[in-house]
Amino acid sequence: MIVKMDHIFKSYDKIPAVNGISLHIEKGERVVILGPSGCGKTTLLRMIAGFVSPDKGTIEIDGLVVAKNGRSLVEPENRKIGMVFQDLALWPHKSVHGNLEFGLRAKKIPKNERNKRIDEMLVKTQMIPFKNNFPGELSGGQQQRIALARALIMEPKILLMDEPLSNLDIDLNLLLRKEVLELQEELGITMLYVTHDRDEAFSLATRVVVMQHGNIQKIGNADEVTKFLSELPVNKKT
Amino acid sequence: MARKITLWVAILLLLLIGLAPVISMFAKSLFVAGELSLGNYETLFQSEREWILLSNSFLLAGSVTFITLLLGVPLGTLFSKTDLPFKKIFIILFVIPLIIPSYILATAWFYFLGRSGIVAQILGANVGIFTSRFLFGFSGVLFVMVSTLLPIVIILVMTYLRMVNPKLEEAAKLSATWPVVLREISIPIIIPGICLAGLIVFILTLGEIGVPSSLRFDVFPVESFIQFSAFYNFNAATAAAIPLGVITLIILIIERLFLRKKVFQFRVTKDPMIIIPLGEKKPLFFAAVATLAFIIAIIPLCVLLIKSLSISAYHEALTRSIDSIFRSLLYAAIGATCLTVLGFFLGYLLERKAFRFTYAVDSIAILLFALPGTVIGIGLISLWNTRATNMIYASVAIIIFGYIAQYTALGERIMAATFSQIPRSMEEAAQIVGVGWFRRLFGILIPLAKRGIASIWLVGFIFCLRDLGITMMVYPPAHDTLPVRIFTLMANSPEEVIAALCMILILITLLPLSALSLIIKNKRQKI
Repeated sequence: MIVKMDHIFKSYDKIPAVNGISLHIEKGERVVILGPSGCGKTTLLRMIAGFVSPDKGTIEIDGLVVAKNGRSLVEPENRKIGMVFQDLALWPHKSVHGNLEFGLRAKKIPKNERNKRIDEMLVKTQMIPFKNNFPGELSGGQQQRIALARALIMEPKILLMDEPLSNLDIDLNLLLRKEVLELQEELGITMLYVTHDRDEAFSLATRVVVMQHGNIQKIGNADEVTKFLSELPVNKKT
Repeated sequence: MARKITLWVAILLLLLIGLAPVISMFAKSLFVAGELSLGNYETLFQSEREWILLSNSFLLAGSVTFITLLLGVPLGTLFSKTDLPFKKIFIILFVIPLIIPSYILATAWFYFLGRSGIVAQILGANVGIFTSRFLFGFSGVLFVMVSTLLPIVIILVMTYLRMVNPKLEEAAKLSATWPVVLREISIPIIIPGICLAGLIVFILTLGEIGVPSSLRFDVFPVESFIQFSAFYNFNAATAAAIPLGVITLIILIIERLFLRKKVFQFRVTKDPMIIIPLGEKKPLFFAAVATLAFIIAIIPLCVLLIKSLSISAYHEALTRSIDSIFRSLLYAAIGATCLTVLGFFLGYLLERKAFRFTYAVDSIAILLFALPGTVIGIGLISLWNTRATNMIYASVAIIIFGYIAQYTALGERIMAATFSQIPRSMEEAAQIVGVGWFRRLFGILIPLAKRGIASIWLVGFIFCLRDLGITMMVYPPAHDTLPVRIFTLMANSPEEVIAALCMILILITLLPLSALSLIIKNKRQKI
């Protein structure tokens, strides 16, 4: 098991954001958390990454307890996690090469090895011609690929994706979904993806987790979740 | 139409009050005995002394810039991004030296480190000789200027770091420790802001006369002041002022051409800024910052307080300067009000880009702000010292003109920032139903911008109140302000009286700030 979350609680100003959630994710799975804005899905992701500490409960990553009962025990940089942010968060002052190199250099990987891994990753994401460009010089789709490449180059145990495709037009969204799936399958990486878009969730997930008001309402495959959602009263639909 | 006329009036006022004196001064410097000539400049630059003064000015400005950046960047980072205890108190302590006139700090340090200062009285005359040698000359001026201008770097670094999208840091934190994230992500992103802070410090140091003349280090701006006040050689004073103006202009052009283009677009985000836990190193950082705050702010304030600690000193100080105190408050209030009105319209012009040449107007305001006070002072005299305009030259108006010329940029930029927070649609919604300019102005824009207006007034008041460079050059007889009175009394008055005068100036400068913070606190409690 790659990620194990047990009875996780998190409140902001006494308003619960995550309300006693337990979720286990197996190696190689593609889990998508589906829910409306403010349902606590991003908070959950940020707790796994280590940016937010849960008020209660335990989080384990690859057998290591990283947070327990309000305390973060392992810093984000030591959790072996990759993340693609909603606004991508590409460093504007670093080139594509610099964006990919930063993490490798921080982990003291030798220069030859760094360059080899960067080139390999840029080939995989079809971004090699843009190696020396800066993020501001790239299109939206190219920036998405670089954000993904930057997360994957660190060979993380789990890839977290926080609505990374939400700002794209539908054609580019569909194309990148396909590319994300291909990369995930090629690398066999575990993926936890957050979205409010049902189509996106069903096309990417091996398992969908439906969240609302800080609680998990349903866990299942696309068919099971579609059936569950169709049975909900209209005003409760996600 | 009414809107256009109002904005044109504001622009013309800036040109007439601010730019015309500088142009007039430059034009006059090109004439000798009524004929076009570069004689004034030849005389100036044939003298070896002028080149030494110019190199002294550059050495001082460069050193002050280097040290303020060296200290200010880590301090600004600690204050804005970490859980350092008592941050707010530290920020207030570090900002105090910027609010009070710099030569008052020099005076406080003279009372502490001078030959017969407090240190000499405690540790003996030999130590006094040593500390006095440190104080008088380059090292002392460097030290006082660093403590005065350090807050500019701290404030700008804090402001820029707060604008950095926290997601950029989080993305880096997934693979690196905080020191690496700060060194490679946060600080490089704000380099344009750091360079801007460096430029401001450099320009302000280049134009400073109070501290170098108090601590006897010869620099170029003092030369124009001496040529004017001691020899009344107007042509030489003007020629001496021009190089500083040209240097300032070159620095600003460099800033416009290179720095502006490198400003990264910060993403507006609702996410709170990340606060870095200092962990076990917290006591170490706290001790270092507390020591620096003690040296930079607490020692000079305590020295002035101790020196002036007698009723007779304050009685004597008030007797000698009560008229100057009232004048200072009055002139600063008038100046701040003028700056508020002008800043309001020019800020509106800048933010709404109402005319094509908006940026040219902004550049003029910034250039005037960056020019040394002595340069603006000489320019004002050059333009207004005529028989026809004597009613302006011989009245308080000349001082107010000086304030407007030098400080309009402050009001303009604060108001532009305020207007950027007010959606255009609010004004357009009124315009579309036929509401005229003045009704929109008083009914919508002014009420929505009242916080910005209050800020300009306060900032303008403080800057006018502490001004020495311009006032010293242009004040008509019987119109001297408190900073000028203190500066002129320094040479032949008892130390305790000067210390009391300095304390009075500090108190009347801090008073409006304290009043404002109390008002804000009360409002917050009511909310």
